[in-house]
Amino acid sequence: MRTRALVAIGAVAALLVAVALSLAIGSRAIDLGTVWQALTDLDPTDPEQLIVSDLRVSRTVIGILAGAALAVAGALMQALTRNPFADPGLLGINAGASLAVVIALSTGVATGYAAQVPLAFVGAGVAALIVYAIGARGAAAGAPVRLALAGVAFTALVSSITYAILLLNNETMEQYRLWVTGSLTGRQNYDVTALAWIVLIAIAAGLLASRQLQAIALGEDAARALGVRIGAVRTVIIVIVTLLAGAATAAAGPIVFVGLAVPHLARALVGASLPWLLVVSAFGGAALVLVCDVIGRVVAPPGEIGVGITTAFIGGLIFALMARRMKVVEL
Amino acid sequence: MRILRIGPLGITTHRRTFAVGLAMAAALAALLVFALAQGQANITVLDSLKAAVGIPVGAPADFIVGQVRAPRALTAVVIGAMLGLSGAILQSLTRNPLASPDFIGISAGAGTGAVLTLWLVGASSLWVTAAGAVVGALVTAGLILALSWRRGIVPLRLILAGIGMGFVAQAATQYVLTRMEMHEAGNALGWLVGSVTGRTWTHVTVAALALGVLAPVVLWHARALRTMEMGDDAARALGIHVGRSRTVLALCSVLLAAAAVAVTGPIGFIALVAPAIALRLTRNAGVTLIPSALMGALLLLAADQVAQLMPTTVQLPVGIFTAAVGAPYLLWLVWRASRGGPA
Repeated sequence: MRTRALVAIGAVAALLVAVALSLAIGSRAIDLGTVWQALTDLDPTDPEQLIVSDLRVSRTVIGILAGAALAVAGALMQALTRNPFADPGLLGINAGASLAVVIALSTGVATGYAAQVPLAFVGAGVAALIVYAIGARGAAAGAPVRLALAGVAFTALVSSITYAILLLNNETMEQYRLWVTGSLTGRQNYDVTALAWIVLIAIAAGLLASRQLQAIALGEDAARALGVRIGAVRTVIIVIVTLLAGAATAAAGPIVFVGLAVPHLARALVGASLPWLLVVSAFGGAALVLVCDVIGRVVAPPGEIGVGITTAFIGGLIFALMARRMKVVEL
Repeated sequence: MRILRIGPLGITTHRRTFAVGLAMAAALAALLVFALAQGQANITVLDSLKAAVGIPVGAPADFIVGQVRAPRALTAVVIGAMLGLSGAILQSLTRNPLASPDFIGISAGAGTGAVLTLWLVGASSLWVTAAGAVVGALVTAGLILALSWRRGIVPLRLILAGIGMGFVAQAATQYVLTRMEMHEAGNALGWLVGSVTGRTWTHVTVAALALGVLAPVVLWHARALRTMEMGDDAARALGIHVGRSRTVLALCSVLLAAAAVAVTGPIGFIALVAPAIALRLTRNAGVTLIPSALMGALLLLAADQVAQLMPTTVQLPVGIFTAAVGAPYLLWLVWRASRGGPA
C-alpha cells in the first residue's frame, strides 16, 4: 500500500514536471518565471506571456487529456482481453475513428467539429467491437501475436479505405489533414471542455468497475462466485474504452503505444492491483504524452514533429523489448 | 510425385502442384496480354504484343505500349513474384501463416532506408535508392534478430519484435519526411504510397535482376526449406545444414522484399496472401515456392488492372486493392485461430 501510494505520488510529480516543461520549452524557450506570471497575472503586452496563455496552455491540456485517456484505455483493454499487447492505437481503434470522420466529411454529413467528435466515437466503438471479437479468447496459445497482427491488418485495411476516400476528394483531404497528424497544435479553437468531461467521467467509471474487472481476470467461475455480472461488466468496459480512445483521437489525432507502454511500466511498479494501475497510468500517460510532445518540438528545428511520431518511435522499441522479455509459453 | 530437372537443379513436385503451376502460368500470360492491349487508346492485341517486345508498329502503340503499358505490367509481374516468394520463405521459416515482410517491419525498414537515401543523396538514380532500401531492410532485420534473440530464435517473439520495429521504422520515415524540403517530401510521399504507375524499363531491369539473382539461390535451398518444416532435428538427420540454410533463406527473403520496396514502394498483403492461396490450390503439405511466386505475380497484375479499370476520377494506388483483399483474409485467419483452429 505504502509503495503504491509513493508510486502514485511520483506519477503526479512526473506530470507536474512534464507540464512545466511543456509550458516552458518550444521553438522559443520561455523561463518558468514568465510562465508563472502568464498563468497567474497575464500581461497582454508581453508576447512571451501570450505564447504561453494562447498556445501552450491549450496544447498542454490536450496532451494531458489524450495521454491519460489512452493509458487508462490501454490498461482496461489489457485487463479485459488478458492480453499484455492490447493498445487502442495498435489495435486500430484510432484508425476506426479516423475512417468514420473521413466518411462523414466526404459525404457532407458532418462539417463542423461538433459533429465530427460523436462520429469519431462511433468509429472507435465499431473498431473496438471488432478487435474485441478477435482478441476475446485471450487465454489461448499465441494470442498476443494474433491480436497484434490482427490490429496491424485491421489498421491497414481501414487506413487504405480512408486513403482511397481522401484521394478521390480533395476537399475532404484538406479538412482531414489538419485533424490526423497526431499533433497537439492547431487545436486551440476547439472547445475541449466537453472532451475533458468525457475523459474524466470515463476514467472515474473505469475506477468504479475495476474491482469487478479484476475479479473476472481471476477466471470466470471465480468471478461468478463473487457475484460479478460478467457480461454487464465487459459491456461497460468496452463502452469506457471506446469513449476514452474516441476522445483521445478526437482531441489529438492518432497516437499509438501510450496505452501499451504506460500500463506495462506501471504494472512493474504497483503490481497487479487494477485500481492503482489505472490511477498511476492516468498520470503517467499524461506525463509521457507531454514529454514526447516536448521532444517533438526540439528535435527537428525549425519545424516540429507530431507527438504521434515520437510515441511510435519510443513505443515501438518498448514493444519489441517487451516481446524479448516474454517467456515462450506466454506468447 | 515427379522430378523436374533443369541441369543440376532437381525440383521434386507433386502432379497436382505441377498442373496448378502450369494453370497459373497460363492465366498470368493471358492477363499479361490483356494488360498490354487494354486501355484508352485502341491498339490491337497483335500490335500491342509487337510493341511490347520492341518491334516498331507505328506512332501511338510504340510509345503507349512499349514505354508505358509494358514496363508497368512487367514491373507488376516481377514485383508480385518477388513478394510472393519472400512471403513464402518467411512463412515457412517462422512456421506461421501470419508472418509476412510487410507486417514484421522489413518493408517499413526498407522504406526508411530509401527515404533516408532520397534525403541525403537526392533522387539521383533508382539504383542508389534501391541500395538504400536494401541497407535499411538489412539493418532492420538485424535489429529484429538482435532484439528477439534469447538463446535462439522463437518465431512468435521474432514476429512481435518485428511489429515493434515496424512502428519504429515508420516513425523514423515520418521524421525524415518532416526534415526534407517540400518538393522532395512530395516525391518521397508519392513513392511511399506503393504503386506500379509510371514505371520505366529501368525499374523492370532492377527488379528482374534482383529476382534473377535471388530466385535460383532460393530454389537451390527449396529442399532444405521444406525439410526444416519437419523440425530442425529431423532436417539435421536428413543432412541439411540447418543454420546455414536458414541464414541464406532469411537473407534472400529480406533482400527480395527490400528490392520490391525500392522499385514500387511498399505494397501490402501480396506477400501474405499469395503463399496461402498457392498452398490451398496445390493442396501441398509444405511450402510451395514457384506457385507462390506465380500467385504473387498474378495477384499484383490483377490488382493493378482493377485499379486502372475503376471508374474513379483519380487512379487509386494498387496497394488499396491488395489491402482490400488481403486484410479481410488476415482477419479471418486470426479469427479462425482464436476459435481453436490451426495457426
